Amino acid sequence: MVTARGLVHAYGERRAVDGVDLSLAAGERVAVAGANGAGKSTLLRLVATLLRAQSGTLEVLGQEIPGATRAAREGIGYLAHDPLVYLDLTARQNLELYGDLYGIDDRDRRIDDLLGRVGLIGRAEDTVRTFSRGMAQRLALARMLLHRPRLLLLDEPHASLDARGAALLDDELAAATADGRGAIIVTHEVERVARVADRLVVLRAGRVVLDEPTAGLDPMAVRRRYEEVAS
Amino acid sequence: MRRRQLIALVRKDLRLELRTRETIVAMVLFAIVMLAILQFGFGTRDDDLTRFVGGLMWVTLAFTAVLGVGRSYVAEREQRVLDGLLVAPVPRTVMLAAKSIAIFLYMTAVEIVVIPLVGIFFVKGPYWDSIGWIAIAAVLANICIALSGTLFSGLALFTRARDLILPVLFLPALVPVVIAGAGATHAVAGGPHDMGEWRGYCLFLLAYAILFALVSVATYDAVFDD
Repeated sequence: MVTARGLVHAYGERRAVDGVDLSLAAGERVAVAGANGAGKSTLLRLVATLLRAQSGTLEVLGQEIPGATRAAREGIGYLAHDPLVYLDLTARQNLELYGDLYGIDDRDRRIDDLLGRVGLIGRAEDTVRTFSRGMAQRLALARMLLHRPRLLLLDEPHASLDARGAALLDDELAAATADGRGAIIVTHEVERVARVADRLVVLRAGRVVLDEPTAGLDPMAVRRRYEEVAS
Repeated sequence: MRRRQLIALVRKDLRLELRTRETIVAMVLFAIVMLAILQFGFGTRDDDLTRFVGGLMWVTLAFTAVLGVGRSYVAEREQRVLDGLLVAPVPRTVMLAAKSIAIFLYMTAVEIVVIPLVGIFFVKGPYWDSIGWIAIAAVLANICIALSGTLFSGLALFTRARDLILPVLFLPALVPVVIAGAGATHAVAGGPHDMGEWRGYCLFLLAYAILFALVSVATYDAVFDD
């Protein structure tokens, strides 16, 4: 689903991502961890096609980036720190917008289904400005899942989700393996993500310093392994 | 699918504007205040300023356009929504077209107020029978303003000093629009219509719109993806 070789992205003189190799197979969930400034979010934005690598090669969902960026974008679901929804539109209007941008045929049925799943069907006609942070992030979860993406890219997904949203996200991540979707989860919460991730990749100063399977490992053992290499 | 995306993006901008009423109201008020200042600056109501009317109108519209274009990506920037649009499979030319249509509509709303007001404030001779011809020139000028404004507001979006950069980039691009808009208005306002002159300026506006459409389509991908 994702194959990156020698990816480099610099902000001015500073290389945020410095020769990263990363692969993600269908149905696999990879946690990417590291200290602040390690390059996690930049790496995720490269895979999300929001940034362009200055060198290296990147293939997302079988499409070469940047050559076939638009085709790759059709299969990407991106959950960022910000909900990426308009505060002055209602929850439903936001999802209608994204439904049209992704060309979803059963848009209205899908919106009702997702609003129900994230517990916002009763607030569907309210503007997002009236939502709490947790509710807005649940709407963001619905936005991400709306077009049935094959690749989920999540940046600190548990940070601002409330308990209901976090449980729904964990269910989605668990279901990802079953139906062949892949997920890259950028996180600080290594123990929590260790429960749903198949592999842990640790970045330090823009480079991969650990890439190991986590299946069968105790979350605390994963945390200790992370701390050994992260700093 | 592109048509569906285009309609969705335009509808989004209009819904936001209808809910907040921030851009059009500010633009109309700004234009009215500017016309009032110009009227006070040029003298009393007894003076006939018909020969200056094209310049007065189009300088006012140019500065109003800067105000409106400067707000064209405010919702995306302040509410941090841009990544959501950019990660969607939307051709950047569709984004360009949608934003241009929104700016075109905002400018049209302003001109519905400004064009009659100019007649009331500055013209003593015949004016009202010229409004149709002025409106046609305004439509062409709006296309130029919308396309160039969308391109430059996209460029300025990724700079730190965007509020300074935008007028510096955009106003020089508006100079030909002001010249042609003022010329077309002057040709038909306040006296016998010089349709040959009016047609020449309108053709110039059309050519400028086509030029900016080509430049925008050729560069808009790079604005957002590089």
